Amino acid sequence: MTTQTAIFRIDGVTKSYGGVKALDAVTLEAGVNEYLSLLGPSGSGKTTLLRVIAGFEVPDSGRVFFQGRDITNLPAHERGIGFVFQNFALFPHLTVRQNVAFGMAHGAVPVSAQDTAQRTQAVIDMVGLKGMEDRGVDQISGGQRQRVALARTLVMQPKLVLLDEPLGALDANLRGRMRNELRAIRERMGVTFLHVTGSETEALAMGDSVVVLDRGRIIQRGAPDDIYSHPASPDVAHFLNRFNLFDGTLAGGSFTGAFGTVGVTNATRAPRDVYAIRYDRLRVVPVSAAPTGPALKATYIANEYLGSSVMNFFETADGKVVEVEHHLSLGAPETYEPRQDYLLTWSPDQAIVFGREGK
Amino acid sequence: MSDASVAAKGQGASWLILPGIVWMALFMVVPIAMICYVSFWTQTTFNISSTPTLASWKQFFASDTYTGALWTTVRIWLIVLATTFIIGYPTALFVGLFVKSKTLSTVLLVICVIPFWTSFLIRVLAWRPMLGKEGAINIILMKLHIISQPIEVLLFTELSVIIGMSQIYCVFMVGPIAFMLGRIDRNIIEAARDLGAGFGRIFWKIIFPLSLPGVVVGAIFVSVMVLGEFATSGALSGRKVNLLGNIIVTQVGSLKWAMASVTGVILTVVMGLVIAAFLRIVDLKQEL
Repeated sequence: MTTQTAIFRIDGVTKSYGGVKALDAVTLEAGVNEYLSLLGPSGSGKTTLLRVIAGFEVPDSGRVFFQGRDITNLPAHERGIGFVFQNFALFPHLTVRQNVAFGMAHGAVPVSAQDTAQRTQAVIDMVGLKGMEDRGVDQISGGQRQRVALARTLVMQPKLVLLDEPLGALDANLRGRMRNELRAIRERMGVTFLHVTGSETEALAMGDSVVVLDRGRIIQRGAPDDIYSHPASPDVAHFLNRFNLFDGTLAGGSFTGAFGTVGVTNATRAPRDVYAIRYDRLRVVPVSAAPTGPALKATYIANEYLGSSVMNFFETADGKVVEVEHHLSLGAPETYEPRQDYLLTWSPDQAIVFGREGK
Repeated sequence: MSDASVAAKGQGASWLILPGIVWMALFMVVPIAMICYVSFWTQTTFNISSTPTLASWKQFFASDTYTGALWTTVRIWLIVLATTFIIGYPTALFVGLFVKSKTLSTVLLVICVIPFWTSFLIRVLAWRPMLGKEGAINIILMKLHIISQPIEVLLFTELSVIIGMSQIYCVFMVGPIAFMLGRIDRNIIEAARDLGAGFGRIFWKIIFPLSLPGVVVGAIFVSVMVLGEFATSGALSGRKVNLLGNIIVTQVGSLKWAMASVTGVILTVVMGLVIAAFLRIVDLKQEL
């Protein structure tokens, strides 16, 4: 992607708090009309990154560009970048309509009263808050508050909207609905969304493209399915929360771990040797069976019913918990005896292997 | 739980308020009723009888001394209210909003309270060596050659009463405002910035309205204390400034109970009106 089509670009941005680097030479850009989700554990610097782009924080070094213009030293209120806060940050003493109209009534760019009223009503209708205009923001539900926060930002017609864990304060049911609505609204408005989240399912579900951030550095960027099937490092595999990770040694085309030595056809280059196998790629067989692939002896502990699948937890001899997911569409789950030993097996070509020997 | 048990519980709980009611009845309602009653008694030079009369009330409103004291009280109250707000609000803004560390803002608030570690009278009287003709302020200004003659208006005038009261009561304005400002979610201010509002707009449209309950509580504190004041005016005005409080002290001192009661009733009514007016500005119920 070139600078011309990028809506924003940050270039080698570093930001430290009391000697701790929250952002370490981060370079990132996003195109026009793109949904970018930024995945990272808490403390990975993802909120700091948003705050630097929004102008609430000044980077120690590096530049921030927006629509081809260097905005590193431009104050937040002159940037024209939308920001949706995790706790919504609605103005508690104003009504829904006054909240939405705030930016037009008091912003840097004057908007006529007639335009303000028109645009306010249009965006309120769009986010589905018709009839709520004169309610106070403490008289509406969490989902409606989320919509007010979104409407308040979108009415300013920003080219870039930053969303800081926008669904974090909602319950699971609402979160699912708001995901679809966020995508739909974004497509209708044709703006770029940069959505920060700590939830791997949210990141994979929402983004056209996912950026994984860890300890202030971007460790992978790609399409959701690409990241899911080809995590670039053991850390990414760990954040995706879909893989059992085994430490061991990769040497001469085979990996030696708790499950013995397994041949490896394809390894990804990484600073440490890790063998990753997806939760739903494991099969459970009795100890007496003699599986053809690699096998790991483990004790069954408990299971967790997830609606469309069942997650079974096993413990290996060295105390590591291994998760095995069974999709219910593949048939009724087998029942296992607690504290009984089983063999976990998988097909070696479905494993993802990281190591210093990798390519 | 059935309705009956809820009612029983409610009844049980209502006993909790009994000591408060007894206390307030004995020491507030009865005395106020008594003051109202006594204000209609007949006062002669050395005696007072319970024969009802409007004489004391007529005397109050016919005398320039008494009505003058009423207007002086109102005037000084308004001026002190204004000065404590003008000095107190920026202080509160700094302590409550701009100081990011909670520890530091607590320390600053404690510093504001330090003068209260000494007695009220000492705090008031300490202004005399400051403001006097040969007081600290005049000496410093003369040493700096800013003035050649000492400023005499500083002490034993209305100005000295205003200076003294503003200093003493300012902290009651700072405290509640700083508390309300401290409760404002910083994200709200950032959201307003993000929507393109500059500091002035954010202050007038977001910060000030949200701090208004603090302003009202502070104003009520200051008003109640200033309206009932007599010590500061007694000590710093050289008896030139007579507030309603001073009138009451003098009348009680000369055993003029009826006139003291009239003044007391008027003062209570003024305070009631002032508090009611402030409570109309904001709905404190929502804030607590």
